[in-house]
Amino acid sequence: MKGKANYRKRDYQAFFYIMPWLIGFAVLQLYPFVSSFIFSFADYNIGAKPVFIGLENYKKLFTQDKEFWNSLKVTILFALYTVPGKLIMALAVAMFLNRDIKGINLIRTLYYIPSLFGGSVAVALLWRLMFLDNGVMNAMLTALHLPNVQFIGDTRYALKTICALEIWQFGSSMVMFLAALKQVPKSLYEAAQIDGAGKVRMFFSITLPQISPIIFFNLLNQMIQALQNFTSASVITEGGPLKATYVLGLKLYKEGFSYFKMGYASAISWVVFTVIVAGTLIIFGSSKFWVHYGDE
Amino acid sequence: MKVKNKRLRTIRDYVIIFLIGLVLLYPIIWMIFATFKTNEEIFGSVKLLPENFSFQYYIEGWKGSGRITYTQFFINTFLLVLPTTILTVISAALVAYGFARFHFPFKKILFVLLIAMMMLPNSVVIIPRYTLYNGFKWVNTYMPFYAPALLCCNSFFPYMLIQFLRGLPTELDESAYMDGCGTLKTFTHILLPLMKPALFSAGLFQFLWTYNDYFNSLIFINSVKKYPISLALRMSLDAESVVQWGKVMAMAAVAVLPVIALFFAAQRYFVEGIATSGLKG
Amino acid sequence: MKKRVLAAVMAAAMTAGLVTGCGGSSDSGTQAAATQAAGETEGAKNDETKAAAASSDEEITLRMSWWGGDERNEATLQVIEQFEALHPNVTIEAEYGGNDGYHDKLATQLASGTAPDIVQVDPEIFPTYVNTGDYFLDYKDYNVDLSNFEEAYISVPINGNYDGKQLGLPTGISGAGIMVNKELADAIGLDFSKTYSWEDLIDMGKKVREYDDSMYLLCANKEYIVNLIVFNYAKQLIGDTVFNPETKALNMTEDQLKEVFDYVKRLYDEEVVPPASYQAAYSGDNLQSDTNWIGGKYVAALTYISTIDVMVAANPEAEYIMSELPILDGAAEAGWASNTPQVFAITSTCEHPEMAAEFMDYFFNNDEALATLGATRSVPPTEKARQICTENGSLTQVTMEGANIAAAMGGTPNDKISSSEESKTILFDSVETIGYGASSVEDVTKDAMSLLSGLGQ
Repeated sequence: MKGKANYRKRDYQAFFYIMPWLIGFAVLQLYPFVSSFIFSFADYNIGAKPVFIGLENYKKLFTQDKEFWNSLKVTILFALYTVPGKLIMALAVAMFLNRDIKGINLIRTLYYIPSLFGGSVAVALLWRLMFLDNGVMNAMLTALHLPNVQFIGDTRYALKTICALEIWQFGSSMVMFLAALKQVPKSLYEAAQIDGAGKVRMFFSITLPQISPIIFFNLLNQMIQALQNFTSASVITEGGPLKATYVLGLKLYKEGFSYFKMGYASAISWVVFTVIVAGTLIIFGSSKFWVHYGDE
Repeated sequence: MKVKNKRLRTIRDYVIIFLIGLVLLYPIIWMIFATFKTNEEIFGSVKLLPENFSFQYYIEGWKGSGRITYTQFFINTFLLVLPTTILTVISAALVAYGFARFHFPFKKILFVLLIAMMMLPNSVVIIPRYTLYNGFKWVNTYMPFYAPALLCCNSFFPYMLIQFLRGLPTELDESAYMDGCGTLKTFTHILLPLMKPALFSAGLFQFLWTYNDYFNSLIFINSVKKYPISLALRMSLDAESVVQWGKVMAMAAVAVLPVIALFFAAQRYFVEGIATSGLKG
Repeated sequence: MKKRVLAAVMAAAMTAGLVTGCGGSSDSGTQAAATQAAGETEGAKNDETKAAAASSDEEITLRMSWWGGDERNEATLQVIEQFEALHPNVTIEAEYGGNDGYHDKLATQLASGTAPDIVQVDPEIFPTYVNTGDYFLDYKDYNVDLSNFEEAYISVPINGNYDGKQLGLPTGISGAGIMVNKELADAIGLDFSKTYSWEDLIDMGKKVREYDDSMYLLCANKEYIVNLIVFNYAKQLIGDTVFNPETKALNMTEDQLKEVFDYVKRLYDEEVVPPASYQAAYSGDNLQSDTNWIGGKYVAALTYISTIDVMVAANPEAEYIMSELPILDGAAEAGWASNTPQVFAITSTCEHPEMAAEFMDYFFNNDEALATLGATRSVPPTEKARQICTENGSLTQVTMEGANIAAAMGGTPNDKISSSEESKTILFDSVETIGYGASSVEDVTKDAMSLLSGLGQ
């Protein structure tokens, strides 16, 4: 469709700019990527020679492995809870902190602190302690005259508990939103104010469209992270109880590093890859309705 | 009347900020107090305040495990993290510019490949990656961190910067070209200054993620004298040994200080960067 | 045009992947061949060893890795320094860390031929490595004095002996037992001093609940129930290990497994152990953080010898005694034997195996080294070391008791399929399902049988 004529001379200079990645892709990324694809068709124990078995791994995964469908469901639920949860939290806090009051720098820093710890052992321990049967959360529920909850031991709550941990660390999305909010030209708001637009309308007709590329990026990135995630589940619940938090990321890690079945783990990760691609296509497909770029 | 309203609103804002902050930070506050507690206090009671405040765990913790102290671990961490962060920001900015502002052959397919690299779970590429890096003699050096940063191998960063760049109007470039600027000059003189907030947040993320990265450090670094903090923090955790959790908490709290300081110092660049310069719109 | 270029790129990529992939595996092939060759020319090699040891000015660097807490790290570093002082041409680089991810890293290193020369390995994971490649050297090919070890102790697989080759050396004595809060047991009138049956255990559990309904008899989670109760009960019931290590077939019938699982269900139903949903927060290694253990709400805990000190530290006020695990009436097989918490192995990629062996010899036999190491890797594995440790006071009374009990039980340790992570996970899941009452014991048994019998293939 697009002929060569469409390229300007200047355009070929792009290769100079993307050169670092082109080299990185060819030298560092391609081999691990392709070999994991090949291993997904092999019976490959870490350290042993891979034996090619065609589609066996995938067949086993889809037809015999009872855990798989549960894990897929849990993974998708995890993404459905955490992605919107994190984005809404991050955007709300970013909007709220996008103001000029005394000490705002300090306040923003404080709000960001939970995200600075990542999956560190300290966070894992303190999260587990807070949600114990006789931990702080239940002490608070008791004080409010509410029935106590087994946050970790009850299959109905365990996934929600680790989702809460994930949402609690909303900071990196918040930082991106703060940066994006500052890119919105003030003149747009001033013009809208002259037109008599209210705050809510300004949010929906100016702020949201203006930062939509960053919302889009955050949405995509959080979806990818959520579908691959395994740290929160592995540090708090180890996938339990009754596999209620056994996300695919954790399953493939266990298959690979605890059972040494790298071939099978590779097959699982290519299923995760496919799910992510599907999610990406949906997000990309919808983007033309709601994402507005400044370069268009 | 109006003034009074405004003051009331400010007070209300502070109260809300304080309340939300308290909920968000409660676990962290708890953690800080836990650095003064014995194991019995940590596990045996829900009380927030410790029985006594002693900095013993900080002093003991700083000594590390087996001769090498946190002084060395901090030095290592900065040797590891700073070059990685700087290289990432530079390479990602270049690549993002290439993708965001030019229309070139194979662009679509290359872009798809760029994004696809983010989508495969990390666990299964670790072993082939290790084999590859081992072939380059990179094991037990910081090259497994520097090289991918230099070669822009975490697609998150170029992609994030592409999104920010696409938020800037192309008229900026056009007028620069009119003035006779080449592409490089357009990039460095017109776009880069405008991308400051995004560049600083990218740098902050890379700093933070590399700083906290346990698994890659574990796999690629062998010598204890080269350990970064992320490894040091879990160093003496063993199911068969009595772990002083207060000490672990104390070091986790100390370890996070540089990142807090960095965020506090850098935020004016990405929070105030553009709006005050008023270039856009 | 575009398509063809892309196809070419992909094809090139695939070949590159394949070529490098094969390169990797052929490498390990050569290694294996080399090891074999080394084995065949054993005599010649021993001569060489002596020659190498004689020319002591050659600079030698060895890498050694282990996981552990502060005390173990410090003691091991001191022993390394002592050895280096005796051998000025030798440097031993220590690579130590926490146990989190240690074996993931080791697997990666073994697969790539970059493992340290001397490695500490979990004996339960060791067989998986032994099965996938020729990664370790036979101590018997080198000058390591094994005479301080009891033959019966080091000749079993779990302690490092596979097919007659001593691939690992045990670092200490471990094993299972029940640690009892003496005061509480006396108050309720429970007697752990004599041999008792599984039935007795349940009766004791009931007595505890009658005495105080905020208390339970046993502090345990699903991992401990599997490792200490399911395996022991099963082995006592069938009079053999759960799998046949030769044929890899299950030794156990479905009815036998059901009997074991029925017992597990009774533990939960009759409240011998706390509810599964309570235990969930303390799974794996987290037993010592159970707030009820810390608060003295359990009469006893399932434990390994190597974790006794950790459990004591969690509730140091109580006085503890060690007790045996229950035994089935008329059982031909006691179920549990003493084993080791870790083994040390020399990897086949080691360039100076004779020097590595010399260090191991020092590590396990030298008086000064043994005194320095103390009980930092559980109760020491040799009588000589135990004597030294008892004299210098590094062994606690309760740990020593535990080791004696474990040693006296004299059963057969788990076969290598039973001790694989995979078979254990199947059983963890089964016990969890029973504990939650999520499906009937019949169904759990059926599922577990089909999964377990799939493992041998």
